[in-house]
Amino acid sequence: MARTGGGAVAVRPDAGVAAGWRRWRPGVAAVAARLLPVAVALLAWEAVARSGMVNPRLFPPLGAIAAHLWALLHDPQLGRHLGASFTRIVAGFGLAVAVGVPLGMVLSSVPPVSRAVEPLLALTYPVPRLALYPILVFLLGIGHLSKVTLVALECLYPIVISTADGLRHVDRLYLWSAQNMGAGRWRLFWRVQVPAAAPQVFAGFRIALPVAFIITVLTEMVSATEGLGWLILYASASLVQARTFAAVALVALIGFLMDRALAALRHRLIVWERETVLVAMR
Amino acid sequence: MTREALALVVAVLALWQGLALAHLLPPYLTSPAVVLGELLRLTRSGELLLHSAVSLYRSAAGFALGAGLGVGLGLLAGVWRRLGDAVEPLVALTYPVPKVAFLPILLVWFGISDTSKILLIALSTVFPCYIAAFYGVRAVDPLWVWAAQNMGAGRGRVFLRVLLPGAAVHIFSGLRVALALAFILMVASELIGSSNRLGLGFLILSADAGGRFDLMFAAILVIAVLGFAADRLLLAVRRRLLAGSVLLEEAHRG
Amino acid sequence: MPAPALVEVAGLSKVFSRGDRRVEALLDLSLAVRAGEFVTVVGPSGCGKSTFLHLLGGFIPPSGGVMRVNGQEVRGPGPDRGVMFQELALFPWRTVLGNVVWGLEAQGRPRAERLAIAERYLDLVGLLPFKDAYPAELSGGMKQRVALARTLAFDPAVLLMDEPFGALDAQTRELMQEELQRIWLATGKTVLFVTHDVEEAVYLGDRVLVFSARPGRIKAEVAVPFPRPRSLEVKKSEAFHEVRNRVWDLLREEVLKLSAEGAGAPAAGARAPGERPRGRPTGPGGAP
Repeated sequence: MARTGGGAVAVRPDAGVAAGWRRWRPGVAAVAARLLPVAVALLAWEAVARSGMVNPRLFPPLGAIAAHLWALLHDPQLGRHLGASFTRIVAGFGLAVAVGVPLGMVLSSVPPVSRAVEPLLALTYPVPRLALYPILVFLLGIGHLSKVTLVALECLYPIVISTADGLRHVDRLYLWSAQNMGAGRWRLFWRVQVPAAAPQVFAGFRIALPVAFIITVLTEMVSATEGLGWLILYASASLVQARTFAAVALVALIGFLMDRALAALRHRLIVWERETVLVAMR
Repeated sequence: MTREALALVVAVLALWQGLALAHLLPPYLTSPAVVLGELLRLTRSGELLLHSAVSLYRSAAGFALGAGLGVGLGLLAGVWRRLGDAVEPLVALTYPVPKVAFLPILLVWFGISDTSKILLIALSTVFPCYIAAFYGVRAVDPLWVWAAQNMGAGRGRVFLRVLLPGAAVHIFSGLRVALALAFILMVASELIGSSNRLGLGFLILSADAGGRFDLMFAAILVIAVLGFAADRLLLAVRRRLLAGSVLLEEAHRG
Repeated sequence: MPAPALVEVAGLSKVFSRGDRRVEALLDLSLAVRAGEFVTVVGPSGCGKSTFLHLLGGFIPPSGGVMRVNGQEVRGPGPDRGVMFQELALFPWRTVLGNVVWGLEAQGRPRAERLAIAERYLDLVGLLPFKDAYPAELSGGMKQRVALARTLAFDPAVLLMDEPFGALDAQTRELMQEELQRIWLATGKTVLFVTHDVEEAVYLGDRVLVFSARPGRIKAEVAVPFPRPRSLEVKKSEAFHEVRNRVWDLLREEVLKLSAEGAGAPAAGARAPGERPRGRPTGPGGAP
């Protein structure tokens, strides 16, 4: 498999010594190769922390962080915070799906509505809706509702856009075949456009779910009384930097696990289209 | 911007204003007229310029730093397999983390200053830029590279004249995402961390504390306009630089 | 006494315009196909053969002229003309059986009847054992046969086939040609079959119509006198070669005209400005 430019070498899969090592790849070697950079990074961290160059209070060694993380994981209150955050994520995402998918359907099939609404969607896309959060808190309180609303609002965008786009860009040959077989408007929409657009709709979900997580943590850091974001602020208020790091590490871990779970889910619902990474970016 | 959309906006604003005039609105939904009045006051007093400038400075600096690092690193990683492979697990681990979680840490390290905010924004924008540049380079059709090599191009020329333009469309997609993130994190950092009593996010907070909803709406409006304008600016730059590719994309879409 | 024409086309023309660019895809095209006939159409690339089928299928409106099927003027798509596209357009989210049964569902037939008909046609094309497979799991030739079964199942009066075997490898294509002939003889359908493969056109057709270069019209007609059923062996005979060469010579003139037009002519396989590339979006509503 030849590669583009740079220092990479064009290697044929069955060539010589390199191939022998490569055949090992799946399995131990691959896992090790992936963990190595992480290990290196952690070692570098430890080295800096212990070097005396930095204030250990500001730059805690891994041991201190690990200790606080351990304590955090055993904190009986953790469940409450996790529950609060997940409730918000799920509710916000669910609300966005319940509103966004039908809205996307309407946009793709009713041109006047599309002409009225879509320019506004495009217009407000680059606007930080987070700025509305203080008003939402004023209106809906510091609890779940204000956060769920903002999460839903944020998740609406990718979901509506993907749904409308997917429905609009159904291969016209599918539509023609269906019409050829005598399908009317209703059947054409529900039995052809919707199934054909399903992969793209799910792509919108894939973008929206991490957004839900990020916005939840964010709003919990701005104003909340519980939740993962609140945990981080609380930890930082204690002025013990290691504790803050532990809280951040926890949130990072959760984010990472959620991402992996989503990837695994995608693998199982085998999408018959290839997706670029950019679709997943946010 | 279609007629229908414009009509919709005008209709909503008119309704809002009408309800306000009829005293049918709760006090926190200040009418568009009042908001505009507040906006004018802010402009005349120079406050608007001051806070906007500070917020924009933070966003721009953070964006420039993050985009520069991200794109640079991404291009390198895309070209050098070993670097890309080495960095990939780190990216996969840190990418799903909400970067705002790092704000308290940055505040401790760098104090309550612009630096911590700029760094947060940079931290956030690095990721989409890195990923876009990395995959952009990798996605370049190898045939283009081979054609260039066939015509005698060396590594440098291949990089500059084939890989870079080829990846440019991807890179701009990443930049667009990063720009939106920069604004979000600017607002976030100003809402969470103290901000020297400067910045549009701070303006929202102080308005919130004082029950000044007209000020709050005015600040939100300014943020919205700035975010929108920045995005348009980026699109204009993109159109300028990528004329051919943009046409290709539009032909596909149309 | 020759059978009455099932398909009549008179003075058909189609112009695509985008902005100020105007392309005449078809000009004054006329033909007639009798019931039960198998008529093949050959023409150079970009001559408008596909456009012609899309017009007959009712997916795009003509700019002029008239088309009648079974005495009825063509006004839109419908199950009286079964279309088989080159890309097949099998629904990937449905099984083989699900695809074949689709047209019957649209016609509102009762479930037991739908299944019986679908399975009969799947059996006819030899794919009944695969009825629960998904299109993605099938080979190119198998997908072709599913598409054929699907088109036959809703019992159209006419079959319009747009280079259905174009995407197949040469060996599979030969076998499919024989298959198609067998199925056609078994069902007695009227077929209008577009292809760029001259041998295929002569092997399959009762008549071969030669399309001219753009703007397209029927330039000539060559009768194919071989009796049915024709085995693949007939392709080796002298008589076959003679007919084939006649068609090829007619066709070659048109192909050469294309390249002679030079810069003004679209490249082979290029599309008129109004024709969108296959599989591209059609606009806000989604439906054409």
